[in-house]
Amino acid sequence: MSDKRTLGEMLTDRGVSRRTFMKYASYTASILALPPTAATAIAQGIANARRQSVIWLSFQECTGCTESITRAHAPSIEDLIFDFISLDYHHTLQSASGIAAEEARHAAMEENAGKYIVIVDGSVPLKDDGIYSTIAGITNLQMLEETVKDAFAVIAVGSCAAFGGIPYADPNPTGAVPITDIVTDKPVINISGCPPIPEAMTGTISYLLSFGSIPELDHLGRPKAFFGETIHDRCYRRPFYERGMFAKSFDDEGARQGWCLFEVGCKGPVTYNACATLKWNGGVSFPIQSGHGCLGCSEPGFWDLGGFYKPLSTAKGDALKFVGGAAVAGAALGAASAVIGRNKRSKILKEG
Amino acid sequence: MMPDNGHGNYGKRDNGAPCMTGQSTGMAWSILTEIRQLLKALSEKGEAGSIDLRSLPMTDADREQLEEILGRGEVRAELELAGASEVWETAYAGVWWVRHKGAGDRIACEEIAITPIPEILITHPVDIEAAATRLENELSQGPAATDLHGQDQENELETSNV
Amino acid sequence: MELLEFARGPALQFAITIFVAGVVFRVVSLFMMWRTRDSSEGSSRERPVVIAALREIIRRLWPQAAYKERTMFALINGYVLHVGLALCVFFLMPHILFIKDLFGISWGALPNNVIYAIGVITVGSMIAALVMRYANPAQRIISTFDDWFSWLVTFLPLITGLIASSHLGARYETLLGLHILSVALLLIWLPFGKLMHFFLVFVTRSQTGAHLSHRGAQL
Repeated sequence: MSDKRTLGEMLTDRGVSRRTFMKYASYTASILALPPTAATAIAQGIANARRQSVIWLSFQECTGCTESITRAHAPSIEDLIFDFISLDYHHTLQSASGIAAEEARHAAMEENAGKYIVIVDGSVPLKDDGIYSTIAGITNLQMLEETVKDAFAVIAVGSCAAFGGIPYADPNPTGAVPITDIVTDKPVINISGCPPIPEAMTGTISYLLSFGSIPELDHLGRPKAFFGETIHDRCYRRPFYERGMFAKSFDDEGARQGWCLFEVGCKGPVTYNACATLKWNGGVSFPIQSGHGCLGCSEPGFWDLGGFYKPLSTAKGDALKFVGGAAVAGAALGAASAVIGRNKRSKILKEG
Repeated sequence: MMPDNGHGNYGKRDNGAPCMTGQSTGMAWSILTEIRQLLKALSEKGEAGSIDLRSLPMTDADREQLEEILGRGEVRAELELAGASEVWETAYAGVWWVRHKGAGDRIACEEIAITPIPEILITHPVDIEAAATRLENELSQGPAATDLHGQDQENELETSNV
Repeated sequence: MELLEFARGPALQFAITIFVAGVVFRVVSLFMMWRTRDSSEGSSRERPVVIAALREIIRRLWPQAAYKERTMFALINGYVLHVGLALCVFFLMPHILFIKDLFGISWGALPNNVIYAIGVITVGSMIAALVMRYANPAQRIISTFDDWFSWLVTFLPLITGLIASSHLGARYETLLGLHILSVALLLIWLPFGKLMHFFLVFVTRSQTGAHLSHRGAQL
């Protein structure tokens, strides 16, 4: 499993030219929003790197992130990432199972101590000593702690690993927590999204390979190259928002004209992701282009934002819940205050 | 970008959902201004430059407009590397268009390179070394033994076997 | 995001609760106070109470000739301020959606850019009002905490709304959270200060009208 050759040597042996590297480097520079001239450095960096050992841990997740990053079509430059990494452990993609799989994980950890990357998808349950998700007889918490010990970096992929995601949503029965709550002594990169855009995942791994360092992160630990702008600020329907032209319901005249989806619940203004520029399925489309508002899936707690179809400017939950009681209380206090006032006056009049 | 309230000139794709891909936004002219600057720098100081087209909010109409204005020059190359790629010199010498395609022939990344020759066309020394070795091996086996084009260069990209 | 979630959730709920309790408290305590009964016979020119009340409300929309010139700036500025605030609050689409979510009613909106321009004008008008109050020695002397603070809690939602729309100075979700919190502050303070005039002005003008009409004063 461990290859002492550099990636450049390994792929040359397989007949993949340096020119193909350059194409991949140009593509990577482009999605990382680096200048085209960075492609040379990226190509050089990857060619000189050793095949990166990656251990992928899957906890309370739906496998959507794996679905996003893998493809079932003709090999292309997007698939090169799987040549650059040695995916030493992955529940869905690996052929080994049971004890053999766990042994593969431990072997990779030992051989590549201090140099392997841990990718985690899914949140970790903590309630009741973490019994709500166990693999190979140990809890997720134990597996995470033992695996990240000698890791070089941790990538929390998907909103579940980055912020808790679905399991974390109200009422969070399993006590799910994001990875950053547990791993505090290693650099953790959050690539949120439900699922994340595949290029966000592969681009970040390529960056780590090329430059050997963590890309610039925002306040939530997400790479700024992909999460630096809101959907709203890059949305092609923004002119309609500014002009006050909104679709009032799905498939009404405004919707057919491609107007802004704010009224049907779009959370674009507060969601940071690259959907409006990189788009999905290789640049084909993204939710708003397909007529549905943004769910805010790359933000913490997006399941509990109040409702996918409730506009962002509405109150969350029931704002009028206590109004009845408030009116009664106010009336009572008002009456009491008036009575006190009247009594005082009567007393003064009597004495005077 | 004035949207048309009637049967506007929206691009129709994705089952007719209007997404303004058919409208020209004037981006082509902005890019041309930048190309002019970079070409001048190349001509006077020999500095190469490039513009990443993917990062710019271009509609399909903008791209077509830019292609039309820049035109085609004397050189065109079709590359087969992990998917197809196309490189051509525009009608303006020194201004090259590099278009890399990924899966299903969709455009993975694109740039306008202002340079005597785009880097992607230059063969890498490592590849040359590997080719020299290979040719050496071929010829040392004798002329009749193998067909010179025989060694298949399949760019097989396998996911790793775990 | 947490600030925004707090602002949209518990903060608004609390503020609306206090607002309702406070307004009901003020109105009930006011109407239940003693009233000096006027048992005199009304003038022959007395009009029905409701008519007299309405006439006074409408009459007071514009000053009498004797005072007009001296109060003209305050008058115009006052209208710009009130109309501007009303337009900004009730004709921006996100605000309309907020009300629609609470009460089910909605109406047409004005374009965001138009509301933005109105907002800027209203800011100018509010600052003018503040300067007038401070620069006039008599007004300054009689001004209380209520006067200044009521100005502030009215100004904050306006300025934070404009800043949020312009995406200036911080992340958008933070600016939006601050805007909503400033509205919560306004709602909490409103019943307990002079901002109650939003309702009470109609009460007092009605009362004055009815009283004057009873006396037969020429209105």
